[in-house]
Amino acid sequence: MSDTAALFQPLLGNRCLTDAESCQRYGVDWTKVWAPAPSAVLLPETIEEVQAIVRLANQHRIALVPSGGRTGLSAGAVAADGEVVVAFDRMNKVLAFSEFDRAVTVQPGVVTQQLQEFAEEKNLFYPVDFASAGSSQIGGNIGTNAGGIKVIRYGMTRDWITGLKVVTGKGDLLELNKGLVKNATGYDFRHLFIGSEGTLGFVVEADIQLARQPQNLTVLVLGAPGFSEVMNVLHAFQNKLDLTAFEFFSDKAMAHVLAHGVPKPFETESQYYCLLEFEGVSEDVMNDAMALFEQCVENGWVEDGVMSQSIQQAEQLWQLRERISESISVYTPYKNDISVTVSKVPKFVEEVDAIVQNNYPDFEIVWFGHIGDGNMHLNILKPDALAKEEFFSQCNNVSKWVFEIVQKYNGSISAEHGVGRTKKPYLHYSRSADEIAYMQAVKAVFDPNNIMNPGKLIDMESHS
Amino acid sequence: MKVLVPIKRVVDYNVKVRVKADNSGVDLANVKMAMNPFCEIAVEEAVRLKEKGVVTEIIAVTIGNKAAQEQLRTAMALGADRSILVETEEDAQPLAIAKALKALVDKESPDLVILGKQAIDGDNSQTGQMLAALAGMPQGTFASEVNVADGKVKVTREIDGGLQTVELSLPAVVTTDLRLNEPRYASLPNIMKAKKKPLEVISAADLGVSFASSTKTLKVEPPAERSAGIKVASVAELVEKLKNEAKVI
Ligand SMILES: Cc1cc2nc3c(=O)[nH]c(=O)nc-3n(C[C@H](O)[C@H](O)[C@H](O)COP(=O)(O)OP(=O)(O)OC[C@H]3O[C@@H](n4cnc5c(N)ncnc54)[C@H](O)[C@@H]3O)c2cc1C
Ligand SMILES: Cc1cc2nc3c(=O)[nH]c(=O)nc-3n(C[C@H](O)[C@H](O)[C@H](O)COP(=O)(O)OP(=O)(O)OC[C@H]3O[C@@H](n4cnc5c(N)ncnc54)[C@H](O)[C@@H]3O)c2cc1C
Repeated sequence: MSDTAALFQPLLGNRCLTDAESCQRYGVDWTKVWAPAPSAVLLPETIEEVQAIVRLANQHRIALVPSGGRTGLSAGAVAADGEVVVAFDRMNKVLAFSEFDRAVTVQPGVVTQQLQEFAEEKNLFYPVDFASAGSSQIGGNIGTNAGGIKVIRYGMTRDWITGLKVVTGKGDLLELNKGLVKNATGYDFRHLFIGSEGTLGFVVEADIQLARQPQNLTVLVLGAPGFSEVMNVLHAFQNKLDLTAFEFFSDKAMAHVLAHGVPKPFETESQYYCLLEFEGVSEDVMNDAMALFEQCVENGWVEDGVMSQSIQQAEQLWQLRERISESISVYTPYKNDISVTVSKVPKFVEEVDAIVQNNYPDFEIVWFGHIGDGNMHLNILKPDALAKEEFFSQCNNVSKWVFEIVQKYNGSISAEHGVGRTKKPYLHYSRSADEIAYMQAVKAVFDPNNIMNPGKLIDMESHS
Repeated sequence: MKVLVPIKRVVDYNVKVRVKADNSGVDLANVKMAMNPFCEIAVEEAVRLKEKGVVTEIIAVTIGNKAAQEQLRTAMALGADRSILVETEEDAQPLAIAKALKALVDKESPDLVILGKQAIDGDNSQTGQMLAALAGMPQGTFASEVNVADGKVKVTREIDGGLQTVELSLPAVVTTDLRLNEPRYASLPNIMKAKKKPLEVISAADLGVSFASSTKTLKVEPPAERSAGIKVASVAELVEKLKNEAKVI
């Protein structure tokens, strides 16, 4: 056992893991770029234990990495430099539920889907949802301010958190906002912790608002001849209906999911597809949807489309969107998760397409994403002939061009996946030097010894 | 050739049904209803036969309340030419449904009746068989393949541990199993066209039948809750428990 691990062992006993398998498992997230190398993995069960860990880490200047479900896509939870991983698998209980407040208090290790199912049992709804919800944890969702497929209607994780208990990098326990809807008493640190990627402290408890259950979620999949037509469809439907989702994907993305065995929605081939979801609560709403479809066809924005007739079909249609990532993973894609304001999306996509195609005509670009939120996933597939290293080095050029365009449009280099380690070198494309200096100063207040997830999101060297 | 496709409106397959607190039945308030999955397969088969040029007219029919028109519209969006709702507020049982269908068979004289092997609400698997008996038609149940040629229909049936192929002379009754086909989605242009297709509403009296039930549901109970699992510390403990507690080894 390393010296570092030996420090924590008396505190946690057999919940201080040092075996190779645990270190491998807990030291890495979905990115798998850096080889995991933590000195220990700690599994606290109480807030007091978390505080004791932080105090000890401060004394000995040991770097801590908060770890949730490790489904992160920016290496935020990666421990590659001998850090100590603090994982919340043992703090995974729903602590309280109030039917009247429609509110629930949970520990950070509760898995996102577990909360969704808890809400469903109570005839309520936790609306933050995405493909990794079966593994990601509430603590991690708060760490990244996770978004997903229902943001257009329900917002991000941030919008559902009414209170947080956090242990700061100094070891203090703060109770932030205590579940209140209204609280005009100054700085709201809760929102500072949401999306801070474990750089300020640990989230050890969360109060979460729940929504009423949506009714008769109905899915349309439409084919559109071009990108501006997709935008026209979005605009037309949003003016009339409260959409719960508006996703888009290109013909290339469609070809990959179909090859993956997902059933074809219709025979007509279009350049772009969009998936819309809404609550089909009344005949009026259904008639509105049909009238909108007719209008879109008359205007030449839509070439064909289908509508789900059952939950089964709605779920099957969602597969067309949700299984894209999986269906292209064999091509070791280069990925970016970027956003601009919705109205700027078509111009943005056109510019990125042009610059990539002009420089690397062999690259296959696959676009999909939460376009109703201005959030696009850019995927570039590796041409077979190209070696992996060569491909990724060429993609570094692409990153620079893409982020320059992002900057030009006042967009974000990371819409919902966080910055972590993978996007840290590019943060300046979205945040000014002054802003980053303020971020460093704020971190120093909560975490003066820089023990909380150092090397993620921002570097502190230039600050101290 | 004319095909009659009886379909049923049921609680959506993906809904987790809850038993009412007083055990009188399942809670249907605000619950999503949809076409019975085996009926979707029946509609799809009829539409494929029409696309092959074997069938000229598809009539969808259902026995149910007013809301069941929704599923008839879906059937027409998928390709049925017209439809009939035998409207009733009663919870009609298989025998009564089969009698109503028999009356419709007399009226419409279809060459083929294709229906689901069972509805997922009652899980009875009786309607097709009873209809065949009442109408004196041959039946090919649990079909995984259907071929119509020369006034006959060949039906491949899924039976325990294998397949059986039977040949029926027309008119005949075929009930569909899961692997017969994969139903298509209803396209939006077809959903719109379906709004203009004829939907006739008739009553039990029009057919000279009654849906008054001779069966009364006494009690509905959810399955017993499974007790939570436990974690064992070692293989030895697992073996010990399997031997002495579970008594499976
Ligand atoms: C297939 C797939 C699809 C995805 N789709 C989406 C999507 O649509 N939208 C989206 O937003 N994301 C998506 N993601 C990314 C990922 O699931 C989210 O970022 C998620 O919020 C991460 O949760 P996690 O528990 O896995 O966190 P981890 O990866 O373990 O950690 C994420 C960050 O939070 C910090 N952290 C974890 N727990 C705590 C804690 N208790 N206190 C303080 N900090 C903590 C970590 O240090 C790290 O910086 C997807 C990922 C995959 C693999
Ligand atoms: C009859 C009545 C009813 C009211 N009802 C409500 C209510 O229902 N809900 C509610 O929330 N409030 C209510 N208020 C309180 C008040 O109207 C709100 O607080 C409002 O937001 C104050 O706006 P103001 O422009 O008057 O700000 P001021 O009173 O001028 O200032 C408020 C604070 O903001 C600061 N400030 C002002 N401008 C700036 C700036 N540009 N940059 C930085 N700081 C600035 C000031 O220094 C001060 O601290 C009510 C007040 C009255 C008189």
